[in-house]
Amino acid sequence: MAVPDTLVPAQADRELVRRMAAGDEAALGALHDRYATLLHSLVIRIVGDPDDAEEVLEETFWQAWRQAGRYEEGRGGLSTWLVMMARSRALDRIRSRRRVREERWEELPEPSYVEAGGSGDVPSPLESAQADEVRRVVASAVARLPPEQRQTVELAYFRGMSQTEIAEATGQPLGTVKTRARLALTKLRDALAVLREDAR
Amino acid sequence: MSPEMGHDDVRTALAAEALGALDGDEAEAVRAHLADCAECRSELEELREAAAALAHAAPPAPMDADRSARLRARLVARAAADRAGGAHDANPDAFSTGPALKAVAPPLSVPDDRGGVIPIARARERRGGMGGWLAAAAAVLLLIGVGAYAARMKGRYDALSERYASLDDERTRLVRSVARRDSTLASLSGAGVQVIELASTQRRAPNGRMFWDPATARWTFFAHDMPALKAGRDYQLWLITPAGPVSAGTFRPSPDGGAVVQATYPLPRDQLKAIAVTEEPAGGLPKPSGTPLIVGTYGTTE
Repeated sequence: MAVPDTLVPAQADRELVRRMAAGDEAALGALHDRYATLLHSLVIRIVGDPDDAEEVLEETFWQAWRQAGRYEEGRGGLSTWLVMMARSRALDRIRSRRRVREERWEELPEPSYVEAGGSGDVPSPLESAQADEVRRVVASAVARLPPEQRQTVELAYFRGMSQTEIAEATGQPLGTVKTRARLALTKLRDALAVLREDAR
Repeated sequence: MSPEMGHDDVRTALAAEALGALDGDEAEAVRAHLADCAECRSELEELREAAAALAHAAPPAPMDADRSARLRARLVARAAADRAGGAHDANPDAFSTGPALKAVAPPLSVPDDRGGVIPIARARERRGGMGGWLAAAAAVLLLIGVGAYAARMKGRYDALSERYASLDDERTRLVRSVARRDSTLASLSGAGVQVIELASTQRRAPNGRMFWDPATARWTFFAHDMPALKAGRDYQLWLITPAGPVSAGTFRPSPDGGAVVQATYPLPRDQLKAIAVTEEPAGGLPKPSGTPLIVGTYGTTE
């Protein structure tokens, strides 16, 4: 008996993309089921407004449908591809709504990452073991970052600010901001590399 | 013109590029270097993957269920119409007018003697009778093309009408289903509802019940009388399948030992053998390490 594709996310992803490229609309529905929560969590964090988030998700899934035939697996996994498209569209939306304002450090919101180690009282979505593990590893790696590195990544990733804008907003020298961004992302990459290594 | 950057400078800027946080000039210089440097391209891919993984660090925020269902229905309907129209191609941004119209577009102008292109109207002026024939031929081709295009649009319209009708049926079905659920919920959650619990005279044992709707892939798990957990430990819910256990998430019971876990996860009907709960380190493990506290078997064995 064949192993159900839901148990092998990478394999299931490949199959979904293949079916979408072949014009199977049910595969787009399945893609939505698989990734809507992840993408919505990211997009709502960026745009804040549920209507905007819904539109961004629709644009993202539609782009995935139209470009499925051009998806290159070598360039990161399907979730990386979808997340990059969704984030880019979400940031475009907030940029079109407002130019980056003069913001001072103390006015910036505190990062609210999930706590490392447990799901607390939030019901955990029934995801594959691999997705749970990625979430746990990322949350734990982010939680271990020094607060200023975490804040730098937060401002760049969720608010779309450039290094110069972050330096201005936080009152830190540009060089310091660059170093923080580099250290933070390198640590995260290394944590994911360990995860991949363990999976082998 | 962007300033040039050396290999080492680019490498230190790759994290910012992956985060999309480089400023204009620097971004241009980095991209220029990337075109020729496979090492930097490969490192950038890894960093991009790390940046994309940050999405997992955002607090989980599932879309409102109604909104999500509407979005899903819209996407599938759009995709079906797209497929019916045959516009699923490698040119995602252009509105496809279909090959028929594209094929007749060029004859609207004809090559002149010097190899240039002049509009039909002017060609007719210059060439007299010949121009007239060409214009007539072009007009015939245009008509054929428009006819084919209209037929194509009619096909697309019919497909959309059919899709609309089926979505309307689906909507009616959903409205009825929601009404039924509201009624069920009211019967469970009304202020006056009485629940009579029959307790064993023995020490109370933990127990659970999983509601699984394979058609919608919805899972709802209720647990009762779960022993309290020590700090740093969680309960983990497992779907036992022929290929092994699949984590269904972790949970901590309330002080009275109760817990509810709800989720969506597609699983073929014949792939579930049992549901189990184990106690694991906080956050859970990829595979169960302890013996199950409670187990429920499902279906028939092979």
